[in-house]
Amino acid sequence: MENLKILLVDDEEEFVTTLAERLELRGFQARAATNGEDGLHMIEADTPQIVILDVMMPGLGGLEVLKRIKAQNPQIHVILLTGRGSTKEGIEGMQLGAFDYLMKPINIEELIKKMQEAIKSQP
Amino acid sequence: MNKCAEKEVAFFGKITAGITHEINNVLAIIKESSGLLEDILAITEEDAFPHKDRFKKILNRISGQIQRGNDITTNLNRFAHSPDYSPASVDLNEVAEQMVLLASRFARLKNVILKAGHHDESVIIKTHPVALQMALFESIEIILDLITSRGKIILFPRKTDNQYVVGVHFEDTTPDDIVIMQSISSCDRWESLEKTMVYLGGTAETDDSALEILLYLPNSIDK
Repeated sequence: MENLKILLVDDEEEFVTTLAERLELRGFQARAATNGEDGLHMIEADTPQIVILDVMMPGLGGLEVLKRIKAQNPQIHVILLTGRGSTKEGIEGMQLGAFDYLMKPINIEELIKKMQEAIKSQP
Repeated sequence: MNKCAEKEVAFFGKITAGITHEINNVLAIIKESSGLLEDILAITEEDAFPHKDRFKKILNRISGQIQRGNDITTNLNRFAHSPDYSPASVDLNEVAEQMVLLASRFARLKNVILKAGHHDESVIIKTHPVALQMALFESIEIILDLITSRGKIILFPRKTDNQYVVGVHFEDTTPDDIVIMQSISSCDRWESLEKTMVYLGGTAETDDSALEILLYLPNSIDK
């Protein structure tokens, strides 16, 4: 699991940079993007194994970003972040190919467990 | 409810749901920031930082309050989404539990404990979710307005034969409050509760001996 490349995409900059720092402390290679467009460019430049993607973002929404990721790099695992009580978007995202979804605020240990499951599920 | 009132309720719901998402984002940032402090603390040598234990205690307190805030926003968000579909299928067990969380503060101010009794099976009906929550809240408020001291209010959803009922039961109170409770259907607010129940296609009744307001609901409402 160490050295796993993770990209975090969320428009809440303080959330996404702090979470990236916490993942770095646990040995992951975590980078952060604060919008969908930047996230897609970062994927092109250096493909991660896992993308943690917020559903609700201004501009390019999370589900649209998910569609584009899956169209270009279907092997990338995407874990969605949704608001509390917003299971609808999470389920819709899974139908579009997301591995799973978590509700914000998240538990970092739960996120890591989800990432491990995603990597193990790779054929 | 007329069209304008429906639009107003939907408007309130939409704005409230949006704000709960914003509060959730704030909580998420606080959670990650305090989590990062915990991480840093964990890799700091004991000798290098003499106040480590005090910091840990404070971080635990922050964590507990984040969880509390999270529970509140989750319930507020569900409540805000209630007008999204009406009529809609609801489980009376879930509605009762949610109402307990939303109305607990009002009960606490009168030293009353609010609880939900759980029916063994799901009690699903098609109804107007906002009006149903309003009827439950009105019932709780009627009891809180009448009583003078402490006690316990329990919401009991149940299904008997073809009847769907939520009992709003009052117990553990003083003899004076028992006498007051027996005149519950003659209080000023009873008429308002009855009107809400008519809108829901049901009735509000009292069981004086059991100190209970009984909300009878049809299993389905079409409009």
